[in-house]
Amino acid sequence: MPLSRRTLLAAAALPAFGARAAEPIVAGVSGPLTGPNAQYGAQWKRGFDLALEGINGAGGVKGRPIEYDFQDSQSDPRQSVAVAQKLVSDPRIVIELGDFASPASMAASPIYQRAKLVQFGFTNSHPDFTKGGDHMWSNSTSQAEEQPNLAKYAAKLGFKRPALLHLNTDWGRTAKDAFMAAAPGLGMQVVAVEGYLAAEQDFRPTLVRARDSKPDGLVLLSYYADGALISRQTRDTGLKLPILAGTSNYSPKFIELGGQGVEGDWVMSTFFPGDPRPEVVDFVARYRKKYDQEPDSFSAGAYDTMVLFAMLCDKYGATREGMQAGLLDIKDVPSVIYGKVAFDPATRRVQGATYKLLQVRDQKFVVWDGTAPAAG
Amino acid sequence: MSSWLDYTINGLIIGNIYALVAVGLALIFGVSHLINFAHGSVYAVGAYIGWACFTYLHAPLAVTAPTVMIACAGLGVLIERVGLRPLAGSARIAPLLATIGISLVLDQLLQIIFTPDPRALTSPLPNWRIQIGGGTIGALDLLIAATGIVSAGVLYFFLRFTKLGWAVRATAQDRDAARQMGVDTDRVNMAVFAIASALGGLSGLLVGMYFNHIDPAMSFAATLKGVVAQVVGGMGNVPGAIFGSLLLGLTESYGVAIFGSSYRNLFSFALLLLILVLRPNGLFASARSTPPEPLTGSFVMPSRPVRVPRIAVIAAIAVAAIVPLAGAAPYVLQVLTNAWLFAMLAISLTLVAGTLGQISLGHASLLLIGAYASALLALDLHWPVWASVPAAGLVTALLGTALIAPAFRLRSHYLSIATLGIGEMVGLVILNWESLTRGPMGVTNIPPLQVGGVELDNPRAAYWVTLGVLVLLALLQTRLLRSHLGRTFRAIRDDDVAARAHGISLGRYKAIAFAVGGFSAGISGGIAAHLYSYINNETFTSTVSISALTMVILGGLGNVAGAVFGAVALTALPEMFRGTAEYRMLIYGLALLLLVRFRPQGVFGTT
Repeated sequence: MPLSRRTLLAAAALPAFGARAAEPIVAGVSGPLTGPNAQYGAQWKRGFDLALEGINGAGGVKGRPIEYDFQDSQSDPRQSVAVAQKLVSDPRIVIELGDFASPASMAASPIYQRAKLVQFGFTNSHPDFTKGGDHMWSNSTSQAEEQPNLAKYAAKLGFKRPALLHLNTDWGRTAKDAFMAAAPGLGMQVVAVEGYLAAEQDFRPTLVRARDSKPDGLVLLSYYADGALISRQTRDTGLKLPILAGTSNYSPKFIELGGQGVEGDWVMSTFFPGDPRPEVVDFVARYRKKYDQEPDSFSAGAYDTMVLFAMLCDKYGATREGMQAGLLDIKDVPSVIYGKVAFDPATRRVQGATYKLLQVRDQKFVVWDGTAPAAG
Repeated sequence: MSSWLDYTINGLIIGNIYALVAVGLALIFGVSHLINFAHGSVYAVGAYIGWACFTYLHAPLAVTAPTVMIACAGLGVLIERVGLRPLAGSARIAPLLATIGISLVLDQLLQIIFTPDPRALTSPLPNWRIQIGGGTIGALDLLIAATGIVSAGVLYFFLRFTKLGWAVRATAQDRDAARQMGVDTDRVNMAVFAIASALGGLSGLLVGMYFNHIDPAMSFAATLKGVVAQVVGGMGNVPGAIFGSLLLGLTESYGVAIFGSSYRNLFSFALLLLILVLRPNGLFASARSTPPEPLTGSFVMPSRPVRVPRIAVIAAIAVAAIVPLAGAAPYVLQVLTNAWLFAMLAISLTLVAGTLGQISLGHASLLLIGAYASALLALDLHWPVWASVPAAGLVTALLGTALIAPAFRLRSHYLSIATLGIGEMVGLVILNWESLTRGPMGVTNIPPLQVGGVELDNPRAAYWVTLGVLVLLALLQTRLLRSHLGRTFRAIRDDDVAARAHGISLGRYKAIAFAVGGFSAGISGGIAAHLYSYINNETFTSTVSISALTMVILGGLGNVAGAVFGAVALTALPEMFRGTAEYRMLIYGLALLLLVRFRPQGVFGTT
């Protein structure tokens, strides 16, 4: 069900009325609610709302409810810079979250930097994002850290000559380079690299090309929607290669869209519903209850970010200066994706995500039992 | 060798899918000479209706497919009756824009009703597959092929042997003559929209099942591929559209085979341009078919432009100049700065589209060229920004004109589609030419605007710089249009045959217009690069081209003041509806439709 702004604000405001009409603390969000990336904006909202339900339900931060002001940018740089000016000149806003894609996020960075408003890009894995200024922070998993983990799992699965398919965007390119750097040290030789265009749906020729290099496995650096398409078409064309996909494929949609075509695929994930950590158990249970679906890595990232924001407000004061000082200092923030979050003050990023390997079995993600695929 | 068989089969399979969309587009173009940009949206609606039938009614395919077709036929009738028929008397550009508006509205409605999440549309067909070469084809592939062939056959039969079919063909040949002979052309048009939309909806359903994936953004890609395919086969030619689609699929598949996936669409558009330049009537045009109708003149509606007195212009500039001093919020300044940048693009487009009559659908690529030129000159060659931005204007003027030059002999729709193709190709070349453009990583750390060592990095300075540049460019263009050059451009627009008979070299004047236009657009892109500090191949997309075109038409084609007005209005409009979040693009689409309906010649009138 689409959540309207009104129900959202009402939901956020209710506990406040119950206690006392305290001034809310507001995070500005710049992201896509319409346009081609709107699905990711919708996932963000689910993550944010779930986190706020918990935070505001428990009385907010020092009696003040937390709200967010989601400004639609369509992830378009022309609109994200206007949104940035709007948010920096709004005295209620103490932190900015987003934008989604690099062109929109990084075009707005100079404005946030000048206004000394923290721009917290929780999906921005572009290595230069946090170099835009000392107020650009990100808890997005770094590809430099993630890809060696994926490569290790590829080696454990017995891949010696994998073919790599990646989304040909800044994200996919960063991921590919990091994987390629890690592969030789693990005894793997990547035999084919295919960068495909965003919004592509037909991968059959690409797969023939990959097949002709005689790989022993496919590695997908894709988002869940294209990952599912590739895996399906791999099976449709009769290729029996084992498939390993990166964390952004961890989504119930991967299975929904892939169907039998993703059965048996391996997907690396930073979290997993069966994870015994209390943060994960709580997050997954409440997410299922509220939305009647499984969470994915995008909603988990948004959830983590809102939890972090509440903690920053609580410990360092709900001011712009408080956010910047807090990010430099904060430690041990509970997180679904990372064990505990702390930022490296030099890179303004988070290290130490935990990576698990899952497998699609009977149309469900289960933890990989350790058996390598039969040599194909 | 066996791989080539696989590439061939895969190319045919995807071509098959393009054909379903292209046939509907060809049918509509054949009868009403209209590129129906809403066709992709009908296709998406069909997919969603199919999804709802499967999910909620658990209907079998034999029930779902006819339901989808009937519902989409109804939608087609509605589009024709409400959106297009009232525009019958106006210039051809009006219905074209109306289809863009309808498409926006339909896509947004889908997104609001069904959420933007992609959904699975699982095929209920049996899952057997036949091994061919190194791959397999399944029941669905055969069903899609059969649908394409059968619908083409039924259409052929309908057009040849039924009375309504004769009426459709008569209307396609000469609407006025058909009407004089007693053909109810409105009914014919409605029938055509119903048939084409039913086909469009069915193809959405089948393609959704094929990919097991539907989302509200599926419409634009479908329209784009469908348009390319039907141009290749010959605009308005139904069998040609099927052939064109298969050829397009094969070209893409072989293109991937030879050069890799990242070059894929480059081949579709290269094929498109090649066909347009060599055989503008399409591969299937027979020698006796009439040459493309000289639509150039009738494309733009003649009207009496609103005379803006000089004093009003000066007053408007003065007001714009003191806005930052009057305590406007930085947000307002930023929105207006965007508007000035858009206005530079709009005056560029209004020159080529309005004054010269060459509707460009790929104008955003000029921004890309300008942005990369200025950014790379500043970063790699260490040019100061005050020099790199004008240089970017010159580079864009040269490069833009050189790219479009082979298409100078094309007219009306054909030129528009060529510009669409060139625009997409520029983006793909930037993505793939890594050694120069840094590929998908984009260009980071672009220095801010500066003059004489002073950084203009606050909203006020950026506002004044863009406003100043815009005023300069706009005055130059106004001056230019009052000279003999302006008269010559209009002569070419109104009747190129007569113009040529008067000794006007069409190619030379077109080159001048595109160069002047390219300069303004390049400057706009260049300034934007320095304001954003980061650009990549997706910074300026085809939606920017469409926005620019709507701005130009809103203001009145060829009208410089109108273009500036259009840019301000259409930049401000979505910002004003910001409070309505998900609904704002819907409101934008509706506003566009109303505008086309009630003032197709634009607010300031065409000149």
